[in-house]
Amino acid sequence: MNKAAIKRMTRRTEFYIFLVLILMIALIGIISKGQLFEPTQIVTILRAMVVDGMFAMCSLVVMISGGFDLSFPAVSALSYSLATTICLNQGWCQTNPWMGFLLAAIIGWCLGMFNGWIISNFRLNTMIVTLATQTFFTGLSMGLLQLKEITSTLPNGFKEMGKSYLFEVYNSAGLRSTMTTMFLFFIALCIITSFVLNRTMFGRALYAIGGNEVSAERAGYNVKRIKFLLYSVVGAVAGFTGMIRVCMASQSIPKALVGKEMTIIPAVILGGASIFGGEGTVFGTVCAISIITVVSNSMLLVGIDTYWQSFFNGLVILIGVTVSALQAMRQKH
Amino acid sequence: MSEEYLLQMTGICKSFSGVRALDNVNFKVRPGKVMCLAGENGCGKSTLVKIISGVYTKDEGQVIFEGKEITKITPAEATRLGIQVIYQDLSIFPNLTVRENLAINSEITAGRKMVNRKRWDATAREALSKIGCNIDLDAKMGELSVADKQLVAICRALLFNAKLIIMDEPTTALTKKEVDALFVTVRQLRDSGIAIMFISHKTEEIFEISDDVCIMRNGKNVYSGQTADLTRRDFTYYLTGRELVDDRFVPTNISAEPILEVKNLCMPGKLQDVSFELRKGEILGVTGLLGSGRTELALSLFGLAKPSGGQIILNGKSVKIPSPIAAQKLRIGYVPEDRLTEGLCLQQPIADNITLASLKRLSNALGLLKKKDIYEDAAKWVKIFSIATNDPKKNASTLSGGNQQKIVLSKWLSNDLDLLILNGPTVGVDVGAKQDIHALVHQLANEGLAVMIISDDLAEVVVNCSRVIVMKEGAIVGEMTGDAITEDNILEIIR
Amino acid sequence: MKLKTFTKNNRYTVMLLGLMALILVFFTATKGGAFWKLSLWKGMTMQFPEYGCMTLGLMFAFISGHMDMSFVALGDFASILAVNYMSAHVVDGMTNGQVGSIMFVAILIALSIAIIGGAINAVLVSRLNIPPVMATIAMQLVWTGFSTALTKGYAVKGLPALYTEIGHMELFGFLSIPLLIFIVLFIIAAFLLKFTVFGEKLYMMGNNLKAARFSAINTHNMLLTSYILSAVYSCIGCLIMVSTMGSAKADYGTSYVMRCILILVLAGVLPDGGMGKIMDVLLSIITIQIIATGVNMFPQLNTYYASLIWGGLLIIVLIVSTRMSGGTVRVRKPRKAPQKTA
Repeated sequence: MNKAAIKRMTRRTEFYIFLVLILMIALIGIISKGQLFEPTQIVTILRAMVVDGMFAMCSLVVMISGGFDLSFPAVSALSYSLATTICLNQGWCQTNPWMGFLLAAIIGWCLGMFNGWIISNFRLNTMIVTLATQTFFTGLSMGLLQLKEITSTLPNGFKEMGKSYLFEVYNSAGLRSTMTTMFLFFIALCIITSFVLNRTMFGRALYAIGGNEVSAERAGYNVKRIKFLLYSVVGAVAGFTGMIRVCMASQSIPKALVGKEMTIIPAVILGGASIFGGEGTVFGTVCAISIITVVSNSMLLVGIDTYWQSFFNGLVILIGVTVSALQAMRQKH
Repeated sequence: MSEEYLLQMTGICKSFSGVRALDNVNFKVRPGKVMCLAGENGCGKSTLVKIISGVYTKDEGQVIFEGKEITKITPAEATRLGIQVIYQDLSIFPNLTVRENLAINSEITAGRKMVNRKRWDATAREALSKIGCNIDLDAKMGELSVADKQLVAICRALLFNAKLIIMDEPTTALTKKEVDALFVTVRQLRDSGIAIMFISHKTEEIFEISDDVCIMRNGKNVYSGQTADLTRRDFTYYLTGRELVDDRFVPTNISAEPILEVKNLCMPGKLQDVSFELRKGEILGVTGLLGSGRTELALSLFGLAKPSGGQIILNGKSVKIPSPIAAQKLRIGYVPEDRLTEGLCLQQPIADNITLASLKRLSNALGLLKKKDIYEDAAKWVKIFSIATNDPKKNASTLSGGNQQKIVLSKWLSNDLDLLILNGPTVGVDVGAKQDIHALVHQLANEGLAVMIISDDLAEVVVNCSRVIVMKEGAIVGEMTGDAITEDNILEIIR
Repeated sequence: MKLKTFTKNNRYTVMLLGLMALILVFFTATKGGAFWKLSLWKGMTMQFPEYGCMTLGLMFAFISGHMDMSFVALGDFASILAVNYMSAHVVDGMTNGQVGSIMFVAILIALSIAIIGGAINAVLVSRLNIPPVMATIAMQLVWTGFSTALTKGYAVKGLPALYTEIGHMELFGFLSIPLLIFIVLFIIAAFLLKFTVFGEKLYMMGNNLKAARFSAINTHNMLLTSYILSAVYSCIGCLIMVSTMGSAKADYGTSYVMRCILILVLAGVLPDGGMGKIMDVLLSIITIQIIATGVNMFPQLNTYYASLIWGGLLIIVLIVSTRMSGGTVRVRKPRKAPQKTA
């Protein structure tokens, strides 16, 4: 590795965010007297990362293309609520949950297409459009369709899916914890996203559009089609992710994801994505999500009331954006 | 060469919602030659380029490329034929690496779906080898200098077996050294048989680089032929449509004491020991190439850049200028370089733009606006400058460049000023408005205003300034007064 | 011709008036006389002032070209402190005067918190150059975090009866105190925007921040003022909310964030800055309230129908208004896939 490459690496946000993650884990590890490294604790943290991490991937790809998606929690909520309701009514998914996943993904895909259609055709501010569709989708699920909470009556297939685990671990006190199978979906999505972003022309198109939309058009990309495709796929992934949440929580609550975007989007930006587009990596995003999850899940370990969770989330993000803003200012001079 | 002309365009017409943008334009491009398309802003140059590159379709006329008539040009078709346009913004992706910037266009054109790192690398290396330049492929595009960005854009164009490369105002953001380097590249391309269409409005450059020239004015081409057959005087005439009138500024009212003294002004990497004086009634020209420190000098006099050392003495008192607000209190006005981003609130009314810097005078002690006074003030300036509008409540965006510049000037002139700094006062301004602006500045100077004109338009400097200082690499390298101010003298120092 | 220019210059006013007429006709047709009952309309005037005030606050930020996501969280935090103060100091058997003076102090506390919070936003955005969306989302989390930590997630009760009484008091039998406060705040806002140097500069700065700075406008101060106004207005909104709810909680106003943005966008006040008229904002607030109340009149419809209609309306308005402003001028793109070269 030559000097220039090292210099380039140390300039990247991902590099710092990774350092911060390591430092923070070390720090919390010391304060909690090693409790953070109990296998059960690690498994709990990894488990908590699944859904947030998958949503973060959705948010990341949109942000790379220079967009801002506020609607993915609403898309997800409508998709899984509708899918579980259909499954319940039809008596599907008692043993095999895949029909539910497929349904949720298809519904999410349709909703995503709606987003994509408006954004690519009318060239509007994506934040405003997704705000509108978020409100609309929420109204759709809880108003027009009157989707109800499904808890104990949730089809068995989903419950089983949620309970399935890869391996089990015990802590020093003998308490058992399981590593959910759902974690594989998260890993898979990260790998796929990373592959698409780095190894396909579609992925490079997202960076290109985020960097300079006019140039991307001149270079021959069909920007309109790419955006349409992007938002539809993000919708489908959001729907699928929602179903994972249903399995893991063993319940389907239409309201459960309200306000989720406000924690996911800042985390993605903390991970090095730029709200102006064209920047961001899967690695950085995973690091940022890890930081947020570790902070919220180890508050009790370091003796802080969990009520402070939101405060510390905000603080971490505030520090993150301040540092990168100061860095940008220094580079300018 | 089998054909004498690579590209022949005859009788090209194009209208936008009834307005004729191009009217019967004819010109020819010879292979292996540099053809300059010259014209002032808004003369239809860019429309013409967009027709050649297939972005717009022509209404009438004939396009013959390599002896074959082309009826319908699409961007893809143009690329296939070997026509490449390097736009002024270079169409680059600042967030991607040089390698990706070089390879991405041809990958898209080839309809690839996947990224093959090896192939991208090979493509990028091939592109750079075409003109033998050496740029770090892993560097981020946004971190390169403008000159390097331009080289990348040229290399990228060459990948498409370009026969005709159109360069849209490529020298705008380059320093003299970089322009020279660019010209070496252009000549190299020319000698390899590629036709270059070079779009510019700078006389010196056109005479230096071009073999043929086509001059456009108001959507018509008024001259086309070989550059060698053209004198500079004729060129200016064709470009502007009027004989160069020599209404040079003659100062009549210079004060004895200097109003402004700048002593040893320094800014790391930007200004070195800059010292000069300025008296009331003078028009001081500050000229130099891009990056010579001329803009930094203006910004530090207006509180938008912080000098690290030196002294600014205004009316005999040493002053600090930390912000534009302080500058305004010291009765300094500044008309910025870039009217669109720094000078105007485009989607706001003309009247509000004119009075923006003098709201203190146009409001009472409680901060309430005196609406009547505002409109009177605006109407006054619309009249003085003959700004072409029937209603000052219309948005500034409805006006042409020249009229917009008049608004920015009015904004500062409606303040009571001691010193007016004009940075590129007539960039992108049509000839009529240019003369209006010059005449008013002359008049104001003779009424006792001290004026500084910062410009790289030498003709403008020569006609308007009673004294000129030339800057180079942040330092003052020459000063001249009166009849010693000629374009040749300035050029000699700049080089 | 004159009408045409009027329509062109007041696109959003015309659109909102049309919308409102449509809604009124719809509810009259479906509900008839029940829709025109005085009590129903009085109910509306009790409901919209709280988020109306917040919307007016956010409007300042939007016109200056800056996003603010933290206003409700900040207002919630400020009102929680106020309620805590009141419940700690008010004891049984105090005279109205004593309680009143405690309330006065509590409100002052809340307002000073709002001013500090607004100032923090402004510093983050204008001095540290953090993108406004990010800075204010982070501050939103911080304020919500403070509130949650302080209240352990519960609603804070113990409001003096006088406070809720005043909140429900009506002057002359129709003018409720919340409505009165809203009217006063509205007049102040309209006055600031239309007749003062501040308003003039705010619009200009929203349109082009750099040009404003080059025109010797103290943009840092302008931003400080606009963020503080945003915070103070929304704090007042939260104080009204507290009186109608009878308690304060960390997440009471959360759903209002999106509603306020929605109202402003519907009124043509876009976060891009320098756009929109305050009269349109008023029309928009009223329209949104009529929809909410109207939907409530159908027993078979829950409140989420209102979201459905709001979201749908916003989408339509966005599309229609870009069509009208010719915002769909699209760059021509190569339709066909580019030809392959050898």
